[in-house]
Amino acid sequence: MHMANELLSIPVATGTLAIAGASLGVICRKVRQVIAADKFALMGILGAFVFAAQMVNFQLPAMPGTSGHMVGAVLLAIILGPHLGAIVISSVVIVQCLIFQDGGLLALGCNIINIALVPSYLGYFLYRTVTNGGFSSLKAYIGAMLACVIAMEAGAILVAIEAAVSGVLVVPFSTFLITMVAIHFLVGFVEGLATVAVLAYLQQLRPDVVADSLPGTIRLSRRAVLVTLAVFAFVIGAGLSLLASDLPDGLEWSYAERPDQPDFQPVVSNPDARIAAVDDLQSKYSPLPDYSARSSKLGEVAEQQADVGAGWTSFAGVVGSVLTMALIWATACILRRRQPQ
Amino acid sequence: MHHAYIDKFAYQDSAIHRLDSRVKFLVVLVFTAVVISLPRTSLSILVCYAIGPFAVLVWAGIPVRFAFKQILLVSPFVLVLALSCPLYDRTPVAVSFGPFLWRITTGWMRCFTILAKFVVTMLALIALVSTTRFNNLLAGLQRLGLPRLLIVQLGFLYRYIFVLIDRAHHIVRARAGRKLRNLGFKTELRTAASMLGSLFIRSIDTAEHISIAMQARGFDGSWRTLWALHTHQSDWLFVLGAACYISGLYIFIKPILQ
Repeated sequence: MHMANELLSIPVATGTLAIAGASLGVICRKVRQVIAADKFALMGILGAFVFAAQMVNFQLPAMPGTSGHMVGAVLLAIILGPHLGAIVISSVVIVQCLIFQDGGLLALGCNIINIALVPSYLGYFLYRTVTNGGFSSLKAYIGAMLACVIAMEAGAILVAIEAAVSGVLVVPFSTFLITMVAIHFLVGFVEGLATVAVLAYLQQLRPDVVADSLPGTIRLSRRAVLVTLAVFAFVIGAGLSLLASDLPDGLEWSYAERPDQPDFQPVVSNPDARIAAVDDLQSKYSPLPDYSARSSKLGEVAEQQADVGAGWTSFAGVVGSVLTMALIWATACILRRRQPQ
Repeated sequence: MHHAYIDKFAYQDSAIHRLDSRVKFLVVLVFTAVVISLPRTSLSILVCYAIGPFAVLVWAGIPVRFAFKQILLVSPFVLVLALSCPLYDRTPVAVSFGPFLWRITTGWMRCFTILAKFVVTMLALIALVSTTRFNNLLAGLQRLGLPRLLIVQLGFLYRYIFVLIDRAHHIVRARAGRKLRNLGFKTELRTAASMLGSLFIRSIDTAEHISIAMQARGFDGSWRTLWALHTHQSDWLFVLGAACYISGLYIFIKPILQ
């Protein structure tokens, strides 16, 4: 779910970069006051642990041939606290971008928010809220599961919103959202199970590490797993069916007229005759007339009347570029062959 | 184990490798922003924009095949989203390209544009990463104002990624040697959890040893480097060339190709 550059518009990309940068600055300042220098190595190595944990995969049930692995954002947030967890996962996202090229440079702000900041704080908050008060194994289990699933879903919903605000995708917002939510429900559920299992293991072997966040024993039972799966599936299914009902999208609401309420004032209205013509044209040709975004269609009308002359200039542009690249390549080859002599 | 299996080309030497890391980072950032802001309907200008990163890659001696393999590796998410465009946007459109004339839908145009932008910006990012050592990049980023805590964190992370990945490989191989069939989800999950847990504990112990060793050598939380960052004349020439290339294409070639 790493966002790529192409799925964002410039305002969204710069806005999220600014938000991510500012909040990282604040978190760094806060952490700097709290921790001593001897924690630096721990944070760095736990970031490397997140990478290494992705090597450990396990078979998923009911889907032969597929395997899951853990991300670990919520686990780190539960063990280290949200600030340290957020910094560790942010640094993981930055390294994924800069060394493994996973996610674009401009999309870095989005990725830090979706993958690092939101899951860390939301997951920690949910876990703490559930386990607050008297500790019990069931509470810790539900807290960790809830934290993982909700944090993962929040990130997925943010991806859908960012892409929709950028206006790059033509997929209807609700379809995209439902796909993301459904996929990340499975991912979050497996992540939650793995997180609980790792917490239980750590509790047995090194109670001192998890003493702060896990003051009792935690056990994973088959019945608890089945019950939570059923409850989560029901809640998310109900939420999705509400979303997927024939209510118009929020975006559509803002500019559409509503036949069911005659006195509804459209928020955005454009009396220009050309736009009306475009809408007509579009409803004629579009197989999915319900989904329409005015602004993005304006540019494509001119293209429908693409004259043959424009084809030749673009042809020249592409051929020229390819020739230039071939020239650069050939020159480099010749120079390199000459060098060793 | 030497950890340079992914950014091995950063340790080569060429004129591009010797450029200041700040200069390269900022140029790639601006280049990416400009490419992303290009209109969605013009494909041919993107091919012109591909010349720049391609030239840098070739000049620096990075195999182009490596770059494309790397792009293919990270493409699935974008690929799925791009391929969903033709399903939803079926407005027919006539595209003429030289002597050819096609009838396709705007969805396909959009799909190709998204993919082309992806490839061009990824080429630029790969050109940056495989010509700059990560430590130099971090030093440059610190000079550009990233919080020092984050820089130290990234430095440690980079240093230990490959150590821990090696360790994880050992654990996974040990499991493969003992587990000869699928054991069912519950046992699988429990095994994986113990592997992860032991990896976690080992990481914490390693961190403790390292921080004791570093404190014994006077580490107080600040990152000191031996080299100083200088901008040479070549850096300014590179900036000038990149600025001319990016803005020239944007101002002069883009209106023609549209």
